[in-house]
Amino acid sequence: MRTVEDAVGAVLSGAISAITQRSIFNRLGGLARTPVGQLGPVERQTVLKELESSLRLFARGSSAELLAACERALSDVAGTGTAASSGGGAGVGGGGAAAAASKATIHKTFAVDQEKDIATARLEAWSEAVRIGLSKFTAVKVATAVSELARNIVFYAGKGTVELRATEDERGPSLHIVATDKGPGIEPRKLEEIWAGTYKSQRGMGKGLLAVKKLVTDFHLDTGPGKGTTVTCIFRGER
Amino acid sequence: MKRSTAVSMGSGGSDGSVGRSRAADQNLAIIQIRNCLLVSIQTELHDRLALDLQESLMERVRIADAIGVILDVSAVEVIDSYITRILNDIGKSVRFMGAECYIVGIRPAVAMTLIEMGVELDSVHTALNLDLALERLELLQ
Repeated sequence: MRTVEDAVGAVLSGAISAITQRSIFNRLGGLARTPVGQLGPVERQTVLKELESSLRLFARGSSAELLAACERALSDVAGTGTAASSGGGAGVGGGGAAAAASKATIHKTFAVDQEKDIATARLEAWSEAVRIGLSKFTAVKVATAVSELARNIVFYAGKGTVELRATEDERGPSLHIVATDKGPGIEPRKLEEIWAGTYKSQRGMGKGLLAVKKLVTDFHLDTGPGKGTTVTCIFRGER
Repeated sequence: MKRSTAVSMGSGGSDGSVGRSRAADQNLAIIQIRNCLLVSIQTELHDRLALDLQESLMERVRIADAIGVILDVSAVEVIDSYITRILNDIGKSVRFMGAECYIVGIRPAVAMTLIEMGVELDSVHTALNLDLALERLELLQ
């Protein structure tokens, strides 16, 4: 799949040094690795805005020309090189439908086993939330929830996975988060304290799970001594 | 605002190749402005870094006779319950020494999220920005 990085990189090579390109793509985060075909209109604007400010600083020649070329590359979904502007409202509508279809199939899983994975997981969750059209505030909530869940995995289970799945129905987009580990699980007595808000952990606040439960639209916990822990939660966006 | 010194903490940093992924090698500079200490948090606060920060802040509060510590979190996009605990701990230990701790620059979305989560940031003061925090600390004198 041709990603944003591939498409923009092809345009920028020659005009901007590889190191500067790297820093631009780092700033784009998860968006840089998103396939061009799955880029929604909002994200495309985000990418272009970021490119615009970077190009103004770094481009030796005309930044406007380079930006226009990047814009063409990002709307060329098939990657054929022929600027695919299918013209008018029909094109826009078609693109929207294609984007909606691809949104429903997005499915990412991350291994989480050290502290730096927490940052990676929440960055990915944030960009995924923005990509599927959840509001900026909701995206921060998503990132915070993923941060809590990933932290629990690293602190208490050692390793596990965080899974992101985006779906879309007539009510709007939603993001499903599944955090799974095969750690010690949570004892029923401890769980009671957690839900009552009286639990205190050595390392954190002991309020992570309760916090996540308050943040999300739907929350499900499956845990017990010896069977590990699976947290499933859903963030729903509005239309 | 005339006198400002900076110390770095933690190991590494001498090679100058500090990447985002190598947060453990990153330095948090403690800057002194009059008798306040300022730390701008621009990186992932993990266990060791947080403890190092707390320790060196304590030491600097003592050496500098500081009346206040200001932590700027305007670059922090996500604050979860663990980071809140770290901030509260720093606030408490600063208060034990007789100084006050201000958190400045909390983003609107972060504040909303903390409220929804029911997490308290009650061992520190907050201010909209650095300027206002300095103003309030100056009134303490």
